[in-house]
Amino acid sequence: MKKIININFHSRVIPIEESAYEILQQYISSLRRYFANEEGRDEIISDIENRFAELFSETLKKGAACITDDDVNTIIASMGRPEEFEGEEAPQPETTTAAGSQQAGAGPNWQYGNAPEEPRRLYRADNDKILGGVCGGLASYLRLDPAIVRIIFVLITFGWGAGFLLYLILWIVLPTRSVPVNARKRLYRNSNDRVIAGVASGLAAYFHIDVWIPRLVFALPLILGIVTSIINHITWWHWYGPSFVTGGFGGTLFITYIVLWIVLPEAVTASEKLEMRGEKVDLESIKNTVKSDLETFKGRAREMGTEMGERFQQVGQQLKQGTQNFAAEAGPVIRKGSNGFGHAIGVLFKAFFLFIAGIITFALITALAAMAFRGDSLLHLKGYVLEGFWQNFLAWTAFFLFLVIPVIALLTWLIRRITGVRTRNHYLGYTFATLWVIGLFCSIVLGGMIMSNFRARQHVEENVPVVQPSHGKMIVHTMENTNRFDDTDFWSDFDFGRNSPFYSIAEDSFLLNTVRVQVRKSDDTAYHVQLIKLSRGSSATRARETANRIEFPVKQNDSVLTLPQGFTISSGDKFRNQQVLVEVAVPVGKRILISRSVENYRWFTVNPNNRHIHWRGGRDNWRSEWDEDIDDNDSYSWSSNVEYVMTPTGLSRTGMDKNGYRFKGKKDNGNDNEEDMYKERAEKPEKAEKAEKPEKAEKPGSNDGYRYKGPGGTAPKATDTTNPKKTALVTEKEEAMIQPYPLLAIFNS
Amino acid sequence: MNIENTQSQMRKGILEFCILSVIRRGEAYPSDIVEEMKAANLNILEGTLYPLLTRLKNADMLTYRWVESNSGPPRKYFSLTPKGEAFYGELQATWNELANAVHTLTNNKSVL
Repeated sequence: MKKIININFHSRVIPIEESAYEILQQYISSLRRYFANEEGRDEIISDIENRFAELFSETLKKGAACITDDDVNTIIASMGRPEEFEGEEAPQPETTTAAGSQQAGAGPNWQYGNAPEEPRRLYRADNDKILGGVCGGLASYLRLDPAIVRIIFVLITFGWGAGFLLYLILWIVLPTRSVPVNARKRLYRNSNDRVIAGVASGLAAYFHIDVWIPRLVFALPLILGIVTSIINHITWWHWYGPSFVTGGFGGTLFITYIVLWIVLPEAVTASEKLEMRGEKVDLESIKNTVKSDLETFKGRAREMGTEMGERFQQVGQQLKQGTQNFAAEAGPVIRKGSNGFGHAIGVLFKAFFLFIAGIITFALITALAAMAFRGDSLLHLKGYVLEGFWQNFLAWTAFFLFLVIPVIALLTWLIRRITGVRTRNHYLGYTFATLWVIGLFCSIVLGGMIMSNFRARQHVEENVPVVQPSHGKMIVHTMENTNRFDDTDFWSDFDFGRNSPFYSIAEDSFLLNTVRVQVRKSDDTAYHVQLIKLSRGSSATRARETANRIEFPVKQNDSVLTLPQGFTISSGDKFRNQQVLVEVAVPVGKRILISRSVENYRWFTVNPNNRHIHWRGGRDNWRSEWDEDIDDNDSYSWSSNVEYVMTPTGLSRTGMDKNGYRFKGKKDNGNDNEEDMYKERAEKPEKAEKAEKPEKAEKPGSNDGYRYKGPGGTAPKATDTTNPKKTALVTEKEEAMIQPYPLLAIFNS
Repeated sequence: MNIENTQSQMRKGILEFCILSVIRRGEAYPSDIVEEMKAANLNILEGTLYPLLTRLKNADMLTYRWVESNSGPPRKYFSLTPKGEAFYGELQATWNELANAVHTLTNNKSVL
């Protein structure tokens, strides 16, 4: 009793016995392997199939009910098996070796078991390769499934890094050749035994393990996730430990399952099911193989020696035409003979690119894993930027299509190459590409929408009433630990660190410290404090509204002006690059000291019109360009914890630190009278700032630290001539330095 | 040295020449070519013929057209291109030289 199936064969419906169909399929695939390196392979096979279809039609016309095993075998006999073919280039063993000539007749042995056994040697597989065919060759040599060898190589590469090096060496050393593919085993999805798609049972069949093992591995994160969430709900106690398993790792397994589902074909036919289980591979068989090979090792080693000698000669010759051979690796035509120098370069080149690709993949996966971990915090942040349904929708679409899709595609590709699975349809690639382009498009549209939310910039001015300090001095500092959302969970989740403008993030609001303190000369004889609140928005009105909502309460206690640590914005306000500019107007002759705590403010400006973001961290940001409607003047060039006095032309140091002590160096100057000092500065105000640097460096009291400033020391020198009194200290130092370096003196003058 | 190997080497050289000669006489269908060669006592497997035809076609020696058939799918009928014709001419010249030489040598007559 035989099962008869209908197949569509070259657009004819052919009733055929299932076993006959298997024979036909095996024959066609043996042809496919035989002509693997032939340019017109598909056409040749299509022609032969066409002939089969014609002969089938004739048989059926004669009144046969279906195509039988005998029919197929007869046609195959007249067509000839691949090993019987005679052609121009029947693959011959390498003629350089004596051992190779033992190969019988024309054509490789392929999988027909009755072919005479030739002594096995290690080659790179020409017909079964992903990179250089090293794994394929090893697998053929050891009679193993190439997939297993490849997985082992990948593991030792990631584990110790040695795998990569070993691979490169083998790649360069081993000659290439078509090797028999002995793995009659492939990864399939098991159609008989499935829960979702049969991935787990297919894996189980492949590795000869019980089916519950892969199932448990895939299901474990899910189960643990459910269990922990139940525990969380009952006890309100957050279990940190396995969040790794339920989060990143579980996600990876989930993606792996999906990818395998897409990649692996389902084992439908009898032969595919046999292929799925394949030959039994265990340690014993590997041991036997190695043992039998060791016996002939001696002779082979000698052979190898002579052959290596030959190869080195070849290398010598090919060094001469190195450049030519470099191209040879790329063009498969000349590839046969290129084993030398150019080949090695080609290999390294190729490996380098693959390495880069691997790094990109790894980075993408890491980024995704990080997102999986920090997902909830990112979701919080998202709420501050995005507005309305469409932006959220676009953000999610862009995220999945633009970031997740390439990862899945890359994994798919990798698994496919490693397992050697070939699918029949090319639509998967097109689908991935299309989805990615859609994702790209979404990101661009989203970017545009977000940018348009930052298009306009408006400011609101607010005067802070100031009580005039009694001692003619104002101290500006910030409040400590105010408004800080004190939940360690959020801190650990989203701490940008000290350099971040997002100071902390809370459930529904976060603290922004894009604040700048600016000192200017007062128009009258009183201190004034003005807040300039800036914001961006889709329109001027909206920007002004947002700016108006910034709350920045300034407190004053006699001479001490206390600024808040930042200002909070809620998710309702959205983040629109809100900024606060604190302008302190100091009357001439009055002093000001800005505490170091003010430096914790971080100023940055989003400017969609210039298409980049100004972000200056640290002290530098005080000197950054103020490009818009707030005019820029010299007065940001203050240092914290230094007392200044306002002069008619700008700020000037009083030489006092915050505790009221004078600097040592200042004493030498003999500048006791601060009024005198600022008058002197007034004569040469533009030099004042430059002169500050040496003063600061002096604090630690080291003279050596001075020397490096020499080449740039033109400014003090110039000041020197016009104002000897003020820069006395500087010139002393300059001269001490100049003497041993006469050349520098020429430079400086 | 094995006899089969030498035989197949000898055949291989003339195979293309023979196939081209058959096609030169008029458009030909691959299985007809096989039959014709068989009739001339030159056995060839169809599986050997198809790759040869494809290679010759890819080298612009041959061209083909589809002909509807009542016994199955449409058939490919091959014919010679001008380039193939020239190629054939050269092969023929070489063959004549070879045949002459072989004939002379095997007939055991001294050339000198």
